[in-house]
Amino acid sequence: MVSEKLKSVILGELELDDFDIVDSTTADMVPGWDSLRHVRVILAVEQVYGIRFQTIELIRIKNVGDLQALIDRKTT
Amino acid sequence: MSFNSAQYFIFLPVVFLVFYFTADRYRWVVLLVASYGFYASFNAPYLLAVLLMVTGISYTCGLRIAAKQDETIRKRWLWIGSFACLTILALFKYLPFFESQANRTFGLSSTLSSTIISIGVSYFTFQAISYLVDIYLEIEESECHFGHFALYLAFFPKLSQGPIERAGDLLPQLKQPYRFDYDAMRSGMLLFTWGLFKKVVVADRLALYADQVYNNVHNYTGLSLIIGTYAYALQIYFDFAGYTDMARGTGRMFGINLTENFNSPYSATSVADFWRRWHISFSRWILDYIFKPLQMAWRNWGQAGPAAALIVTFLVCGIWHGATWGFVIWGLLHGIYLASSTSYRPYQKRLHKWLGVEKSPWLKWWQMFVTFNLVSFAWVFFRSKSLGDAWYVISSWFHGVKGLRSDLILSQGRQNILLLLACITLFVLAAIRPQVAERFNSLFNGTSRWLFYYLFVMLILICGLFGKAEFIYGRF
Repeated sequence: MVSEKLKSVILGELELDDFDIVDSTTADMVPGWDSLRHVRVILAVEQVYGIRFQTIELIRIKNVGDLQALIDRKTT
Repeated sequence: MSFNSAQYFIFLPVVFLVFYFTADRYRWVVLLVASYGFYASFNAPYLLAVLLMVTGISYTCGLRIAAKQDETIRKRWLWIGSFACLTILALFKYLPFFESQANRTFGLSSTLSSTIISIGVSYFTFQAISYLVDIYLEIEESECHFGHFALYLAFFPKLSQGPIERAGDLLPQLKQPYRFDYDAMRSGMLLFTWGLFKKVVVADRLALYADQVYNNVHNYTGLSLIIGTYAYALQIYFDFAGYTDMARGTGRMFGINLTENFNSPYSATSVADFWRRWHISFSRWILDYIFKPLQMAWRNWGQAGPAAALIVTFLVCGIWHGATWGFVIWGLLHGIYLASSTSYRPYQKRLHKWLGVEKSPWLKWWQMFVTFNLVSFAWVFFRSKSLGDAWYVISSWFHGVKGLRSDLILSQGRQNILLLLACITLFVLAAIRPQVAERFNSLFNGTSRWLFYYLFVMLILICGLFGKAEFIYGRF
């Protein structure tokens, strides 16, 4: 399940007040989440959680649920 | 055998009839044999050997990647498969370049490359690589049935020029049982005929002007060169979109939906938008397998990261078309257009707001005009026979109208100009006004549709140029 913390990081970077972000949400479903903003979202996630992703891990992410699972794996 | 050749008009119905009367479980055999037969018709037996080699390599490596748990071993098989496919592609594509270098260095006079054709090689090797990467990334599962996999790479409608199909999109369709669907058959045939119209009536007529200018650029100046460049910009679109319609139409007759490659690319309002609409299966490929990994790897470079990733990606895109400076500069130009847009986009929005034009309908038209001209400027390097010719074209754009009336416009007759203007106006209207396209389509779907079918075929037979068989993208 997508945490409130991740949701607020994503919405903050995309400059959105609110959007229903769930596990199955993909970037193309969210307004403004293009490939350039995606980099900013990832950098912000790395900074907020104090973690570093490998490139291959990032390419494997298909939706927000995958991103949350990757964060959970890195932080536990 | 080209889609617009007499052989294909016999080949297609024969294959369909055999396919139709064959039991479902053997239909893949019919399509595979037909696809290999189609490829063999190019009279280059080595092409079939290369196709079989790439099929064998990617099939084996795909199974190995899927069977292993160890990340290092999986990655090793991915590299082995991709490297082998890329080596085969590079040998074919860059043989003229390697040969000219060898001739120059060692004083040889080899002409081997002039006898070699590489039609289709880059398309099926790109498909093979995407298949391996998708298995490695666990996006797709490996295909165990060798016949289905071989057909995925060789399916004849998309073999010579794409679309570059993803395994997840095409493989499941190839395994589905076929049920005859009158509407699918009719729309497939209509789409094929539209493609033929775009190719033989529009593209090949535009080629008369583009070829005349670009084969002898020094005979022209100013407006003649601009018209030649615009003619080529339109020719390459109608040629490639025509081919894609014919490929998709053929696929639809066999119950297979191939990827749409074009979405009114010249109505794009930015170069980024153009690449979302032009050669879509290829741009998806380079974005997913080159741009995104580079962008992620260079994410700490700030704004320079995406810009560098875009330039490298489109440089590769240019080199993919061939080892000439013209293609390199064409790719580099698109990379620079896109990289610079990442910096100026916020300022552009502010400028539009400041000028009060952000909601003006004219803004969209202006952006379409600028984008079309930026893309056409890049086509100069793509089409010119040498860098010297390209430089002459862009440096003589505003120098008079030498050769315009007598040599260029009137050389092919007034009817030719009128026919082209009518066709292009129709396509432009259909692209920008959906209701025009709907009304036009309704002619072919209404009660008197057979009348319009006959008229359409007659129009193609009367106005088509059937001597010029080649499609531009066949050589890439």
